[in-house]
Amino acid sequence: MARASGSTWFHRKQTRELALVGCFLLPALTIFFLYRILPLGWNVWLSFNSWSPLKGAKWVGIDNYQEMLFDDDVFWDAFANTLIFIGCSPIAIALAFAIALLVNSDLKGAAVYRTIVFLSYPLMTVAVGIIWRWLYDERGGFINYVLRSSGIVDQPVKFLQSFDWALACVIAAEFWQVLGFYMIILLTGLQSIPQHLYEAARVDGVPPYARLLRITLPLLRPSIFLCIVVGILNSFTSFDLVYVMTNGGPGHATELLITYIYKAGFGQTRFDYAAALTIVQFFLLVVLTVIANKLSGGNAGSLER
Amino acid sequence: MRRAPSWPRHAIMIAVSVLMLIPFYWVLKTSLTGENIYAYPPRIVPVDPHLYNYVDVWYLIPFPRYLLNSLIVTAMAICGNLLFNTAAGYALTKQFPGRRWIVLLLLSCMLIPFQATIIPAYLITAQLGVLNTHLGIALPLLSTIICIFIFKASFESVPRSLIDAARVDGLGEWRIVVRILLPLSKSAVATNVILTFIWSWNAFMWPLIVTRSPEMQTLPLGLARFLSVLEDTTGALYAFVVLVLVPGLAIFLMAQKEFIRGLTSGATKG
Repeated sequence: MARASGSTWFHRKQTRELALVGCFLLPALTIFFLYRILPLGWNVWLSFNSWSPLKGAKWVGIDNYQEMLFDDDVFWDAFANTLIFIGCSPIAIALAFAIALLVNSDLKGAAVYRTIVFLSYPLMTVAVGIIWRWLYDERGGFINYVLRSSGIVDQPVKFLQSFDWALACVIAAEFWQVLGFYMIILLTGLQSIPQHLYEAARVDGVPPYARLLRITLPLLRPSIFLCIVVGILNSFTSFDLVYVMTNGGPGHATELLITYIYKAGFGQTRFDYAAALTIVQFFLLVVLTVIANKLSGGNAGSLER
Repeated sequence: MRRAPSWPRHAIMIAVSVLMLIPFYWVLKTSLTGENIYAYPPRIVPVDPHLYNYVDVWYLIPFPRYLLNSLIVTAMAICGNLLFNTAAGYALTKQFPGRRWIVLLLLSCMLIPFQATIIPAYLITAQLGVLNTHLGIALPLLSTIICIFIFKASFESVPRSLIDAARVDGLGEWRIVVRILLPLSKSAVATNVILTFIWSWNAFMWPLIVTRSPEMQTLPLGLARFLSVLEDTTGALYAFVVLVLVPGLAIFLMAQKEFIRGLTSGATKG
């Protein structure tokens, strides 16, 4: 009798606890359901339909994808630019790695250098775009001023209006902003490497470059993987930068998939086509992340604990 | 012990620092320049520095309006985050069936970039009837997965005996969180506030999509609008840029440690 009442008491307590957990989790989960999970499914559904806010949905199968792959040159421009954008991020990661190695040593004032390099990361990206537009400006810009006064060019270069230079210029601005973040990720990784490994290697007479190759780089793999993922994600988040600096121009020379998604969706009100573009970009992101994960040793436990 | 001299490393780092700081200096210089900003060659030091451009910002654009909108959205995002993330973080410290699945769900949600959801997110926001409102801008920013896990880790490090003692004293669950756990998790709170501030203060793409009328625009939208309406013909644009950057930079410099901890905790908690 006592046992029975004890177990109902236990059950009641458990139900109450469960209700509490549910109430506490509900608001956050609602946000993530509305703005992460539901959109993902909705995107897939939209991409197989012909749909606009005024007319109903009509199932069209893979028509949107067919148009994208075979009849849309802008898509291929944007796709190539996105790949170039992502493909350049290892350069920034390598630079950040060099800086991290320098700052990680017992250098006096390392904290100050660290702050300076990181300072551009928390800035508003729209403002970063305006700053860099101004640096590239052919009249008042710093870069043209330096190039002209050092005699490298005679005529000012219209960087952001040039088909050859525009994409490289946007990528350089993006480097400036994100370099500090890569540095911090790599620094955190460097500081988690046990010092005694280096001491043991030094005692054994291992030269510095071998210590770098055999100890630092292998143990830094999770951090490097994380940097690469950040680089891939930046092809999404750089919308702000491209929108302000070039808005995809000249022509479509700096069009990224994300800016094209925006233009298709909110410029031409083709939500269905924009959804199909999103699916392609998301797929690209997943594939690249899986490849990066494989390359970094297949066990990047940093994201999936 | 053999030691390499440190000056080459200093030299490299000073060069890097100068390169990183030039854009800041150039925009600050331009904002203070009184003469034609397009004069060539541009001067390295402003000849006759004054704050004329900063005054101009108040007359050329509805700066107070943008500022107010940004502040409202940021305040909403910070309140939402503190409330929802502490609640969810506390719930995850408890054992319950399906806990593993929820953690897995949250971790996989982290991999979906918000920008990949904009088309349906816009349609959902339209369905909810909050397009072109502060709430509509703030809604997707109201909770952050990384911060939920930061709170969870912080709450788990509080001794169980303390929580049990509070429960014996008859404190309800929510009061345990507010009275016992939060005061002991100051650094998690700081991290959450700072990250949310920076993210909502800087947010551009989502407000661009959700807002229709100029009087709902936030500071980043105001900047982009200034650029497209007035072109970059006046130094006031750069004064505006400086004004917008100062709060973010100030907060970052004051709470650098918490900010960096928050950004890297997703990476290192592993």
